[in-house]
Amino acid sequence: MPITDAVHLVHGPVGCAAYIWDIRGSRSSKSNLYRTGFSTNLQEREIIFGGEEKLYHVIIELYHLYHPPVIFVYATCVVGLIGDDLAGVCRKAEEATGCKCRVIPVQSEGFRGVKKSPGHKLACDVLLEHLIGTRTGRGETDISTPNSINILGEYNVAGDVWSITPLFEAMGIRVVSVITGDSTVDEIASAHTAALNIVQCQKSIRHLARRMDERYGIPSIDVNFFGITQTAKALTDVAEFFMDKNMQRTVEEMVSLNVRRITPKVEYYKKRLAGKRAAIYVGGSKAWSLIDAFSELGMEVILTGTQNGLPEDYVRIREHVAEGTVIIDDANVRELAELLEEYRPDVLVSGAKEKYLSLKLGIPFCDFNHGRTTPFAGFDGFLNFAREIHGVISSPVWDLIPERRRL
Amino acid sequence: MSKGKDFAIINPCTLYQPMGAVYALLGVKGAMPIIHGSQGCSTYIRFQLCRHFREPVNIASTSMHESAAIYGGEENLIKALENVISRYNPELIGVTTSCLTETIGDDVNWIVGRFKDAVCNDNDKDNDKDNDNTGTAIIPIKTPSYAGTHLEGYDTTITELIRHLARKSTPVEKLNIIPGILSSADVLEVKRLLCELNCESLMLTDVSESLDSPLTGAISFLPQEGISIAELAESANALGTIALCRHASSGAFFLEEKYGVPAIIGIGPIPIGIQNTDAFLADVNRLTGCEISVSIQKERGRLIDAMMDAQEYNAGRKVAICGDPDMVTGMTRFVCELGMKPAVVCSSAGSGELMDEISITGRTGRDAECSPAVITGRDLDDLHQYIQNKRVDLLIGNSYVERIAKAEGIPLVRVGFPIYDRIGAQRILILGYRGALHLVDVITNTILEYEEGVFE
Repeated sequence: MPITDAVHLVHGPVGCAAYIWDIRGSRSSKSNLYRTGFSTNLQEREIIFGGEEKLYHVIIELYHLYHPPVIFVYATCVVGLIGDDLAGVCRKAEEATGCKCRVIPVQSEGFRGVKKSPGHKLACDVLLEHLIGTRTGRGETDISTPNSINILGEYNVAGDVWSITPLFEAMGIRVVSVITGDSTVDEIASAHTAALNIVQCQKSIRHLARRMDERYGIPSIDVNFFGITQTAKALTDVAEFFMDKNMQRTVEEMVSLNVRRITPKVEYYKKRLAGKRAAIYVGGSKAWSLIDAFSELGMEVILTGTQNGLPEDYVRIREHVAEGTVIIDDANVRELAELLEEYRPDVLVSGAKEKYLSLKLGIPFCDFNHGRTTPFAGFDGFLNFAREIHGVISSPVWDLIPERRRL
Repeated sequence: MSKGKDFAIINPCTLYQPMGAVYALLGVKGAMPIIHGSQGCSTYIRFQLCRHFREPVNIASTSMHESAAIYGGEENLIKALENVISRYNPELIGVTTSCLTETIGDDVNWIVGRFKDAVCNDNDKDNDKDNDNTGTAIIPIKTPSYAGTHLEGYDTTITELIRHLARKSTPVEKLNIIPGILSSADVLEVKRLLCELNCESLMLTDVSESLDSPLTGAISFLPQEGISIAELAESANALGTIALCRHASSGAFFLEEKYGVPAIIGIGPIPIGIQNTDAFLADVNRLTGCEISVSIQKERGRLIDAMMDAQEYNAGRKVAICGDPDMVTGMTRFVCELGMKPAVVCSSAGSGELMDEISITGRTGRDAECSPAVITGRDLDDLHQYIQNKRVDLLIGNSYVERIAKAEGIPLVRVGFPIYDRIGAQRILILGYRGALHLVDVITNTILEYEEGVFE
C-alpha cells in the first residue's frame, strides 16, 4: 500500500517481500519509506516453532531504526498456516513502543483469494478500523473545512494525482487525503473530516466509500479523470455537490480554458488516430472508463475486459460500449492471444505481464498499469495518453517486420 | 550486520527457490512450469521475469485457496496438470512447490505418480514412468521458499531434470555445461566459445534464445528454443560436465556418481575476466581435447589491449560489488585484474563460503592484495551502511542497488538480476573474453562519464 511514511513489513519468507518491494508505480512527493522492502525472513526453524518472537523483535528493531508513525504487518501464506497470532504480537509491540507507533496487522495470506478483490476489501477494512478517524488534531471541527474531499481509489501512478489536485485547489477545495497515493499516515487518519469522497477506481475502493458513508456520513460520487469529457464532468459534479455558485463558475472557466488550450493538440492526434481500433484488458473500472477516452480520439474499442472485474464493472462496460464490442472476463494467456490474433486491434492497453505478449504478436501496446511512467489523468494527462497511443501505433519499427506486412 | 539490526531484512537482495526453478525450466524446449502454491507466487515471478527479460513468460499456478490449504492441494494439482496438458500440450512440466504446499505437507511426488497412473490406466500402451500417454514428462521439484535462495531452486531443478531424463546409452562427443542463472547473452557467449573450439555442447539448461526471441508477429506459449528432452537424455553420455557456478553443481556431481561423467566444478569460478576464462578453456581442453583456436587467442589479445588502454582511468578505484555469489567472486577477480580495488562485496551466500571463495581469488597471482570486506546478509541495507562509512568509486550490481548509488552519488554498472530500469538486461554480456571486453568499456566509460574534467 502506498502510504508513504509507513513501514510495510511482510511477515513471511524473504521471497514474498523480495518480489513485491518497490514494484508499484505509485509516486510520492514526501517520504520514500514505502519504497523500502521489509521482511521478517522466516526460515525453516520458525515455520516449525512459530514466527511470533522474530516478528516482535523485527517490529521493535524497525521502530528504533525509523520511528515511523505506523508499521503495517502483512501476513503471508505460511504465516496463516503456522497460526502466528499477528494481532497479538502487533498489540504487544505497539505497547512496547509506548504506543508512539501504531502496529497494524493485515491478514493478507496469499491463499485467501485467487483475485485481488478480497485484498482490496481487506485493505479498506484495515484503514477504516485502524487509521481513518484516529487523528483529530485540535478537534474535528477545526481541521474540517466545508469544501474538502478525499480522493479514493487513486494510487498516484506516474504522478496522476499531481495533475488532479491543482484543479481542485483552483476550485477552493482542500484535498484531505488520497487513498492511497502520495498520502501520509496523518492525512489518511484525518480522512473522516472531509465533506465528500470522490471515487476514481471504484472496484478497489467502493467498499471503503460505503463504509465511510455509514460511519461518518460522508457521501461519495464516482469520478473519472481519464479523458476530457470525463475530467470536466468530474469537476462539474464536485462543484454541483458543494452547491457553490462561485465554484461552479470557476469550473466552467477552468474547463473551457483547458479545452481551448488542448483541443488543437488533441485534433492533431485525432486526425491520425481516427478509425483505429483499440483493445482494453485492465483492472475493473478502467475497462469502461477508457472507452470514452478512446472515442475522444476518434478511436473505436472493439475488445474490452478485465482480469478481476466485479459484476458491477460489467454493467458499466455494457453501458459504455458500442454494439458488437467483444467483452472478455479473466482470459488466460492463450485466450487473450487468440482474441488478439482474431481481431487484430491497432493497440492493446493493458499491464506489464501482457506487454510482451502483445508486442511479440505485432500489436502496439500501451501500459496503463504500474509500469507506466507518464501521467494520464486530467487534461494534460489525456494529451500524454494521446501522444503515447499515437507514438506506439505509428512507430516505424512495425513496418520493418517482414512477417507483419503479410498480416 | 549494521547497528541495531539483528532480525529485520531491509531491502532484500535475494530471491526464493521457485524463481530459480522457473528460470531453469524456461531453458527447456517445450517446458511449462507449474507452481504448486498460491496464485501470487506465479504472478510475481512472471512479473519479475517479464520486466527483466522483456519477454512474455508463461507460468501455470495451482491457485491454492483457503480450503485447499486446509484439506490439501491434491485436486488443485491434478486439475492444473490436466488443464496445462490439454491447453498447451507441453513436452515437459516442472511442478515446483512453494512454502504453502511444503508446509501443509502435500506429497507432490505421490500426486504426480497418481496422476501418471490414472493416465496410464486409461492408456496401457505407454509404460514409461516419466511420460504419460500425451508424451508429457512431469517432474516434481521441491522448492520450499523458506529455505535457501533462488540458487538452490535452480540447482535442485537442474538435478531433477537430469535425474528424471538422463539415460545411459552410447557415448557422445559433447560437453555438458550447467550455466547457472545468467543472461541470455552470457549463455549464448559460452555456446559461441565452445563452437569456436569445435566442441559440441549440451546447455543444461539454455535460455540463450528462449528468453531473447525475435519479434515476428507470431507467439508461442512454450519455449521454442532451449535444450530438448532428447538432449537432456544425452547428458548421461557426455565427455564431461562443467558447472560454471559453484552454487549450481549438484547436477554435475549426480552425473559423475551415477553415470561416470567427469565433473569439473568452478575451478577458476565462473569465466568472468581473463584468468577465469583461461581456466574455463583449459577445463574444456582437458575434458574434450579441443584446442584453443587462433580466433579465441586474438579475442584474448584484444581484451588485454583494452585493459591496458583503460588502466590509467581505472587504477586504484574502489569498487563495491553486489549480486549472486558466483558473479561476485568472478567480478571481484576481474576488477583486480583491471588494477581496481574491490573494497566491499555483498552477496546472499553463506558467509564462510563466500569468504573462502574471495580469499581463493585473493591468493592467485598478482592480485594477492585483493581483500575486500565481505557482507553476507540477505539485504542491501548493510551494504548501504558500509558505503556510507567507507566511500567507493563505483558500484556493480542490479537495479535495486541503484537506490544506494543515487543516495550516495556513486556511479553504477548494472549487472545481475533484476534489471528493470534500463533496457537490454538479457543482452548484458560479462562472460568470456568478449564479456570482459564489454565490461572494460562499460566500467571505464561509466567512470569517465561521472568524473567530469578528465578530458578538459
